Amino acid sequence: MQEPTFLILTALAAGAQHGYGIMTDVARISDGRVRLRAGTLYAALDRLKADGLVTSDKEEIVDGRLRRYYRITDEGTGELAAEVRRLRANAAVAASRLGLAGGAA
Amino acid sequence: MKSAEVRDSRAGRHVRLRLEHRRKRMEKRYRRLLALYPKDHRREHAEEMVGVLLAAAADDARVRAPEPVAWALRFGQHTADSADLIAGAARIRGRMALNRIRRARLFSWTVRDQRWSDALAVVSVVAPLLLLVAALAEFHIPQAVASSITRHPDWRLSAALGLADLPLACGAPAVALLAFLRLRWLAGIGALATAIGQVAAGVFGSIPTFNGYASPAVAFIVLLACTAAAALLLSPGPDRGLALLTREGTALVGAGALILGGFSVGGSAWLGYPSSASSGFGGEVAGLPADLLIAGVLGVVALGCLRAPVSRRVLALLAIPVIPYAVLWQEKLASDLFGPPGAPAIIPSSLPLLYLPPLILACVIIAGTRLSRRRATWRARQMGSTTTPRGPRGAVSA
Repeated sequence: MQEPTFLILTALAAGAQHGYGIMTDVARISDGRVRLRAGTLYAALDRLKADGLVTSDKEEIVDGRLRRYYRITDEGTGELAAEVRRLRANAAVAASRLGLAGGAA
Repeated sequence: MKSAEVRDSRAGRHVRLRLEHRRKRMEKRYRRLLALYPKDHRREHAEEMVGVLLAAAADDARVRAPEPVAWALRFGQHTADSADLIAGAARIRGRMALNRIRRARLFSWTVRDQRWSDALAVVSVVAPLLLLVAALAEFHIPQAVASSITRHPDWRLSAALGLADLPLACGAPAVALLAFLRLRWLAGIGALATAIGQVAAGVFGSIPTFNGYASPAVAFIVLLACTAAAALLLSPGPDRGLALLTREGTALVGAGALILGGFSVGGSAWLGYPSSASSGFGGEVAGLPADLLIAGVLGVVALGCLRAPVSRRVLALLAIPVIPYAVLWQEKLASDLFGPPGAPAIIPSSLPLLYLPPLILACVIIAGTRLSRRRATWRARQMGSTTTPRGPRGAVSA
């Protein structure tokens, strides 16, 4: 799973969010390291929707503009959980090897 | 005091108007870039994307900096957003194109009818094998090996290959090897290239066997290579074919074809008889032309195969290249039985005679399978079933 996808699913894991909310949340989660732009965000959302990991939730009009909310699906939650387990296992191995090599784990 | 308030109010209004003007200009530019997105995507997301872009731009505009620096920041952000929009449109359009290709199964054509699919899979093993045997026989390799064992002087390995020999000499072993390595697509393309090369070689006609398109030998190789290509490209491939034919069956077909191929051009040498085999064409077995023996053996094998439905289909497919071979037989028989070597054939070979019957047979097979599929679908509908009768969805019909 690519990092933007992982971060988008992580942002939505806390609850349904609209596009701009996801962008700001991703920036917050990644400590400002990853800044999604609209083109990348909507291309990713389009793919995630096609894969059934994300779905549209509700819509509202704010300041005359459409705001659509997205939420993570059960399949998306499963994928994210599997990715977390994989990253955790890899991180544990890396940490233990760094420890064995005398590095900072 | 009042004039200062008025001044502030005017300045505020001026700033608001400037921001509003800038926002409108920006929105216009973003909308122009959104035109790059597919229509459906635009209909669903354009409004919210514009909202997100403007909200992000408004956030960037809150950064306190001197005007030239703020302008440079705004310009940088706008350029990055524009590039990102273009890249996003390219990603979405690329994904849509890929999905269309996948749905069309452009790279995984298979025949829908299971029995024809199985028959083609068997042919994907047999046809490359026959092509290899045809090449070996064409260049007298089995006869040369047999001659060296029996110390017969008549047959020698062809010393040099001409330009017209190259398609068969290179193509046949390559197709057989690629099919053996289960590289179905490459083997299919190789077989197609062999057929095209053989047609091109037929034009040059540098050796007697390849004198033009109207040669039965050229037509046999061209149609055998085309049949091999169709079988390799349209079936599950040699894996399935081997499972149906078994390794022993494949070895039997190969050995049988090799022996018959050897007899067809020099049976005497196989038996070690010092005969007229040096004339270069037409062997004898027990005083009769070898072709009669070959025709008899093939007839018995074909009759034996008629029991199984898949075998019947395999025979129908292999009949496509065998038709010009039959023309070759009657030419040889005319010479062997009724006249001196080189006597005119009963039916002289011509382009329509060599290529039209195989073409008609191929069309009949395709039309027959389509008709049978339609009838099966109609029957399934009559029974109230909505499922496709056989095979995976999206596969092409034979």
